This record gives sequence, C-alpha cells and structure tokens, in this order.
Amino acid sequence: MIALKNAWRRNAVAYMFLTPWIVGLIGLSAIPMVASLYFSFTNYDMFTDPQWVGLANYAQMFQDQKWLNSVEVTFKYVFISVPLQLTFALCVALALSKGLKGLRFYRAIYYVPSLFGGSVAVALLWRQLFGGDGLVNRGLAVFGIEGTNWISQPDTALYTLIILAVWQFGAPMIIFLAGLKQIPIELYEAAKIDGAGKFKQFFKITLPLLTPIVLFNLVMQVISAFQAFTPAFIISGGSGGPLDSTLFYTLYLYQKAFTQFQMGYASAMAWLLLAAIAILTALIFLSSKKWVHYQE
Amino acid sequence: MKKNKVIHTLLSAIMLTSLFLAGCSGSDNNSSEGNGESSGGGDEVTIRFSWWGDTKRNEIYNSIIDRFEEANPTIKVDREFGGWNDYWDRLSTQIAGGNAPDVVSMHQFYVSDYARRNALLNMQEFADAGTIDLSNFAEATVESGTVDGNLFMVAKGVTMPGIVYNAGFLEEIGVEPPDMNWTWDEFNEKMLEVNQAMPEENFGVPDLSGGQLQPNFRYFVRQRGNDVFTEDGMLGFEREDLVAWWTMWEDLRQKGAVPDGATTTEYDSAPLEQNMFTTGLTAFTQVPANQLHLYQEQFDNGDLEIVRMPGLEDGETGEYIEGAYLSITERSEHPEEAAKFIDFFVNTEEALELFKVEQGSPGSSEMAEFVLPLLEPAQQRAVDFIQETVEYARPAPYAPLGINELEQSFADNASGIAFGQLTVEEAADNFMAAAESILQ
Amino acid sequence: MEPNKIPEEEVGPSVAKPLLKTLDPVKNHKPRVKKPRYLTHALIIAIGLIMLYPLLWMVMSSFKENTEIFQSGSFFPKNFTLENYIQGWTGVSGVTFGRFFLNSGIIVTLCIIGNVFACSMAAYAFARLDFAFKKVLFMIMLITLMLPFHVTVIPQYIMFNYLDWINTFIPLTLPKFLATEGFFIFLMVQFMRSIPRELEEAAQIDGCGKIRMYWQLIMPLSVPALITTMIFTFIWTWNDFFSQLLYLSNIKLYTVAVGLRMFVDSMGESSWGALFAMSALSLIPLFVVFIFFQRYIIEGITAGGVKG
Repeated sequence: MIALKNAWRRNAVAYMFLTPWIVGLIGLSAIPMVASLYFSFTNYDMFTDPQWVGLANYAQMFQDQKWLNSVEVTFKYVFISVPLQLTFALCVALALSKGLKGLRFYRAIYYVPSLFGGSVAVALLWRQLFGGDGLVNRGLAVFGIEGTNWISQPDTALYTLIILAVWQFGAPMIIFLAGLKQIPIELYEAAKIDGAGKFKQFFKITLPLLTPIVLFNLVMQVISAFQAFTPAFIISGGSGGPLDSTLFYTLYLYQKAFTQFQMGYASAMAWLLLAAIAILTALIFLSSKKWVHYQE
Repeated sequence: MKKNKVIHTLLSAIMLTSLFLAGCSGSDNNSSEGNGESSGGGDEVTIRFSWWGDTKRNEIYNSIIDRFEEANPTIKVDREFGGWNDYWDRLSTQIAGGNAPDVVSMHQFYVSDYARRNALLNMQEFADAGTIDLSNFAEATVESGTVDGNLFMVAKGVTMPGIVYNAGFLEEIGVEPPDMNWTWDEFNEKMLEVNQAMPEENFGVPDLSGGQLQPNFRYFVRQRGNDVFTEDGMLGFEREDLVAWWTMWEDLRQKGAVPDGATTTEYDSAPLEQNMFTTGLTAFTQVPANQLHLYQEQFDNGDLEIVRMPGLEDGETGEYIEGAYLSITERSEHPEEAAKFIDFFVNTEEALELFKVEQGSPGSSEMAEFVLPLLEPAQQRAVDFIQETVEYARPAPYAPLGINELEQSFADNASGIAFGQLTVEEAADNFMAAAESILQ
Repeated sequence: MEPNKIPEEEVGPSVAKPLLKTLDPVKNHKPRVKKPRYLTHALIIAIGLIMLYPLLWMVMSSFKENTEIFQSGSFFPKNFTLENYIQGWTGVSGVTFGRFFLNSGIIVTLCIIGNVFACSMAAYAFARLDFAFKKVLFMIMLITLMLPFHVTVIPQYIMFNYLDWINTFIPLTLPKFLATEGFFIFLMVQFMRSIPRELEEAAQIDGCGKIRMYWQLIMPLSVPALITTMIFTFIWTWNDFFSQLLYLSNIKLYTVAVGLRMFVDSMGESSWGALFAMSALSLIPLFVVFIFFQRYIIEGITAGGVKG
C-alpha cells in the first residue's frame, strides 16, 4: 500500500517536471508529425486535398535513381564528416582547455566559423576558396600542383562540403569543453599522486568521464548530418549539383516538396529517413552500454 | 557558496525579464493582429500584396502602394516581400496553410503550378467589368496571362530574352557584332570566331543547352514548328529536336567555345555580379531584356547591346511573351479591392512613374510610352528591343502539371552531356523516357 | 577560482617524464622553456587565421564600394567607405535595421528563457527521477528530432494559422517554453547524469524535496550545460531564417536573419555591400554573447560546487 503510494508520488513528481515537454509534445510536435505520416500515404500537392495512395510513395522511392543517389551521397557525408568533425572538435577542445595565455580569445576565434550558420556569405566564400582560381589552388600552385575546380567537379564537390562541416566544428567543441570542465579536479590530483602520466590521465580519467558527452555529440551529429541541408543548399544554389554529387537526402526532399509540389512523396522520404536515423541511433545507444560511463 | 548566490540572482533576474518580455510581446501581437484584420467598425478593407525583389525594388513598390492608399483611403495594403527563393517557399506555404495574400506576384515558371491547382482566381470578370482595364494591352500580352483560357495573371512588365554582348569589347578584339536577326548557324560561327579572338581560357557564350526548358530550348523547338508542350499538356517536340539542340551545343563545347560542365557548375549559382559574362569569361550571354541595365552597371568599357535569339532560316519565330505578373489568389476575401489595386499598379501614371521598367516594359502600350522618357539609356535600349521583338510573339501553351520534374530531367541530362558522362543520344533517350512517365 | 585551474595543477613537477615533455611541452610553466610556447601560439594563431579569414573578408568587403567588392582582387578596400553601413541600416520603407535587431533580441531572449527552464525540467526528470514509461518517452523525445522540418512545416503553419498566431512571435517562441528542443533536453540529461549521486543523497538526508533539489542543487551544478544551452539557443535562433521567414511577413516584425535576405535577390539586383555590412553587424551580438558567457562554461563552478 505504502509502496504503491510512493510509486504514485514518484511518478507524479516526475511528470510534473515533464509537464511542459508533454504539453509541447502533444500540442505542438505530435500534430505535424502525425499529419506528415498521413501525407506520406497520399498524393499531396499542398494546394489541393491529399489523395490516399497507400504505400505507392514508398514503393516508388526504390525505383527513383535520384533518390538512391541521394541516399548514397548522404551516407558518405555522414560517415566521413561526423567522425572527422568530432575528432577535430575534441582535439581543439583539449588544446583550448589548457593553460595558455589568451585562451578566451582563441576560443572565440575558433568559434567564429560556427557563428556564420548558413549565411549567403559562406557560399561566396566557398567559391573564393575552392573555385578554379580560388585560394586553395593558388596555395597549391606555390608547390607546383595544379588544382581543379573543387566545388564543381562531381568527384570532389562533396568533400568541400565535408570540409565545410568540419570547419564549423564549434558546437561540438563547446560541448566538449563544457564536459571537460565537469570532470572533478580531485580525480586528476589523485591520479597524479598515483604517478599517472598525462597520457594515462587522458585515457583513464578524461576520456572515460567524457564518454556521456561523446555519446551526446555522436548521436546529435549523426542525427543532424543525416538531415544536413543548408550547406548543400547554399553552395550548389539548391540544385545538388554537379551531377547530383551533393544532392543530400533532405535537399532532394526539399526539391520534391517545394519545387515539384510532391509533398506526399517528400513526407514518405522523411519517414523513411526517420526510420534509418532511429535504427542507427538505437545501435549507438545499445553499444553505448559498453563504452559510456556515468558517475552513478 | 558565493557562486550559487550569483547564479540564483541571475536566474531570478531572467525569470523577471521573461515575465516582462512576455507582456511586451503580448502587446506586440495584439497590435499586429489589429493590422491584419479589417477593423470592425469602419469600411476600411485590408488586402495583402506580396512580391519578390531586393531592397531597391521594395522601396519602389512601397512607394507605389503608398500612392494607392492615398488614392483609395478605404483600402489598406499590407506588404510582404522576399528574395526569389524565399518568396516562392513562403507563398506555397501560405497557400497550403490557407493564409495566402490577396495579390501575389506571379511568373511563368510557376503559374501553371498555381493555376492548375486552383490557387489563383480567374480575373476575367474584373477585366470585363473594367475594374482591371486591359484595353491598352496588346492581345498577345493579355493572352500570355491566361492558362486554358482563364485570365490568371495581368502583366506588370513584359520582357523578351536576347543575346547580349559588350560592343566596346567586341570592337577591341576586332569581332564584328552580330545582326539583330541572325540564325543558329551564324550564332555558331560567331561563337567560334569570338572564341578564337579571346584568350585561351575564355569562351564565346555560357552553356545554354540545359537549365530550364525555357526560354532557350523553347525558342529552338518553336522555330522548328513545334513547342515544348501541346495545348493538351503533352510533350510538344520530338526526340530529334532534342538531339539537334544538344548536338549543336556539344559541338561548340568540343571546340572550346562553350565551357565544360565543371566550369558551368562553378558559375551556376553565382550572382549577377559574378557570373561568366560580367566577369568577362564569355563574350556573349542570354539575358532577359529588362535586366540589361543591371548588367550595364557592371561594365564601364562599352555599351551592352542586345540582339534577338538566333533563329532558323525560313523557320518560324520563337518569340513568346514573358514577364512578371500580378494575380489574385482564389481564396481572397476582397477580390474587388485586389483587382482595383492591380489596375492601379498597371494603368496609372502615379504607379508607372515609379515602376518604370522595374520588371519589364509596362504591359499597357500607353504606359510604355509614358515611361520611355524617364529611362536611362540602357533601359531605353531594352524597351526598344522588347517592343520590336514582341511583334514576333506567338502564343505559347502553359506547362502541364509535372513540369518541374520534367525540367529537372532536362537539366540533369544536359549536364550529363556537359560532363562527358552521357552521349547526346543517351541523354535524349533518358529524357524521352522520363517525359513519358511524367506526362501521362 | 582561477580560470585555467586544471591545467596548472596538472603541470606539477611530477610531469617531468621525458615522454610527456615531448608530447606536450606547452605544459611546462618554467621560463626557460618559453620557446615551444611561442610555437604553440603561432600554430593556434595560424589555424585561427584560417578560421577567421571569412570574417575578415566580409568585414573588409563591407567597407568597399559596391562595384569594388567583386572586381578587385585586393583584400583591403581601395576607397574606404561607410556607405554600406548607412545604406544597410536604413532598411526598407522606414523600418531600420535597429528594429530588426530589437525583434531578434526579443525572440532570442524568450527562446533562451524557454529553453533553459523547460528543457532543464524535462532533463532533470529523465536524468534523475524514476517514473513509468521513462525509456519510451525518452525515445519519443529523440524521435521528434529525426524528422526533417520541411515536411512538418506545412501542418505546423496550418496549425498556427488556425490559432491566428501568424505574424506574431508566438510560433517562434512558445515552442521553446514547451521544451520542443530535444537537443537541449538530451544535452542536459547527459550533464546531469554526470553529477555524482552522493551529492543528491546528502541533500536528501537534509530533507530536500525534489523541487528544491532541482532548483538548489542540480541547476547550479549544471551551469556549464545551461550556459551552453543559452549560447546555442542564441546563435541558432539568431541565424534561423526559415521559420522566421514563414511566420513573420509583416516588415515591422522582421528579424535580422530575414532582414539580411532582403539585400539579395537571385533573380536580379543585390546590394552586396549592404549585405556584408549588416551581416558583420549581426555577428557582433553573437560574438559578444559568446565571449561573455563562454568563461562560465569553461570556468564553470564545478570544482566549487563539488567541494561545497
């Protein structure tokens, strides 16, 4: 009886804390999500009423060459850019958490690229850097290497976008920094007394205690990389060119929805993407039991 | 625990500000809602008007609206605007959301999407009643705003595409400028000639073989007696038309007069100030005449001249009317006032004095004459050109549903050729197959 | 608490092992090994310049005349002009950029407040409390992040239009008060889970209820995460133009992000100079906020908190 009462109380307190989120979930997030799920089974051109077509949209996808191509492009992008970006962010975070003079200043500088977001200026800039007579090629010319049109060659265009993603590494870096700061100093002091070196400290203290944050960054970067849209949109002007080599999944989805008015098809694409991300995220979480350490 | 105190004060302060700001934004909302709805008591009606453009155009349009409100004290016009892409994203969302502006700016690229999905109002009734006076509009101009016989758009400015070159530059490199009327054969020769006269890494003209189906390819097939679409929404040309078109461009590309795929892509999304022509990479380019003066601003070493799109010897004319238009949305609650506004916009000196040729030569011939003395030289040349070529215009059927997907296939296959990944024959096969499945 | 306490403590005499020296010579505080420090600085600055180049280029361009921006290859302006700033600030039809800054400021402030409180509450429940359906709800929370917004935007617009909230700040701010940003919930969950349990147990013995525990223990200990949330909310909301574009069509409600787009029209003319000038201005608040708050992330109060 008392146990039951306690359980009820425990739930009540927890749900009280969750109230805003639940209200938002039901009132704001759920309705559009369910609506889009419904659209995914229909032919919906946005202006007239949707017509039920069952699984036709889903079936059509697997015969759509452009869709298959966008899947390939996106997977490539996710599996290359996420590890690169996270490693880079962690290295910089480690370097910048040390006792150098003027650290605040450096940290601010390193965050600048991430402040730009998807500004038009970035597109202009990228052309300046990676275009035919861009800075990169001028730099290579010093070493006698002749570069190409990095942005506009189908073989290299995607990699310029990956570089862009790595360049905007500020968000995971800040989160790593915050995580590093939460590691109690006492642990290091104790380790030092035990005679542990820097290397050992990193692998025995820093990295294990940082794993919850690594998990967070990994999951969030995977989720957002799968949905990457802005970089390809601004740099290819929304086309996904050259030859669809930067046609990200969500860029194609956007074209389907807003240029070709096939919102039903776009919604089906979105839900398939959701399923893919969900599976991958679940796998990461499952594996996390092996490598993430909480202080509980 | 000194820090805890600091944090607490900080958090409490945030709470207080939040309450304060919540109040602020609340009052803000009320006031804006007040603007959006017609106020209960009076006869005042509010309509919404939406357009695309940059800040300069917005200044012009705002002034026109101010004058309209002055002349019609009972009608208030709420203004909405954005750049080209933003404009269409927002408009489609607004229409889907049942919150479309009353008067919207329309364009050939999109009108069939909107008209064929019942998003636009047939304005014939207002034209008949004279609310929108089209008596000074050329028949072809009025016609260009109809889809399947329904008047869905009224032209605020009409324009014609042409091939543009810098006269000063051609003289400098010793190349004769082309004739106003020239053929595709002459075009080819000229491109090769100018390419010879220019440095190695330069080209005659940007690659016009792909992109959208209109205007370039459309002119070509119309000259061959076909069109891209038939009246009943089927493909209006043959595979051989496509092969002839792409073969011509591939030939120029092989001879170095047209850039390869990578170079084209590099400049694909470049702004006007940075495109191939303005940066001097090509000697010619295709430009809608109303933009001639914008290009001229980029050149201080000679006048830009514009000639007709190349034609076919003994072929038909390719010309058809293009431009920027105004439409009323289907669900507008105040179509009458919206029509009044459109009439003011296209038919009064107060409006045209400001509009001039902002988005093309005025649709009304009377107004076109009125603005002529107000123009800069480059704009005058453009208007002369438009008026001369409009004479050749023939009606052009509007695209069927699915056009955007078809255009995508056209662009994809054209760039497949440009990158050397497809032969002309393969690309043509791909496109015809796509067309068959899309336009059933 | 000194800013860079951890590293300084790490750099004790015991770190004199040769391996470590080669690995990380920077660590040594003794004056005689100053040289490597300069090297590190030089390296950081060199990479920093790559990071900064775009910003510098934009600022330089903003002082150029419109025709010079694309035509000259020179990095520095030939004729220094403030015209772009004046023209840009003027805005459109009597609404200046000041108004846009104010609007963005209001929206951003509300979003920050919403995210900090609503997300931390949800995060506290997920991280520290036991309740029915916890795992399921957490999964749902993550799933809401996985749907591309292009397909939810239409139903959302219909919904907000039905509620008559178009052209108000409500569609942009209310969702944050209802913790719809799962990113921040998850972020705080990860941080809160790293707070040692013993602290809570100690507090529990003192008779601390869950609400007081959240407010007086967990919140102060989560300051790095909260500040991170503030910074990100600030930057992302400030830069987010798509939803602002859709929900605010009245120019008086325009924000900086939407205002910046007015200078560019891909179908015609663009005022690049004004765009760069206003873009540069719009980065200032971001930069200031970042500089001001980042020290709270880095310096945190962890050590103090844990010891207290």
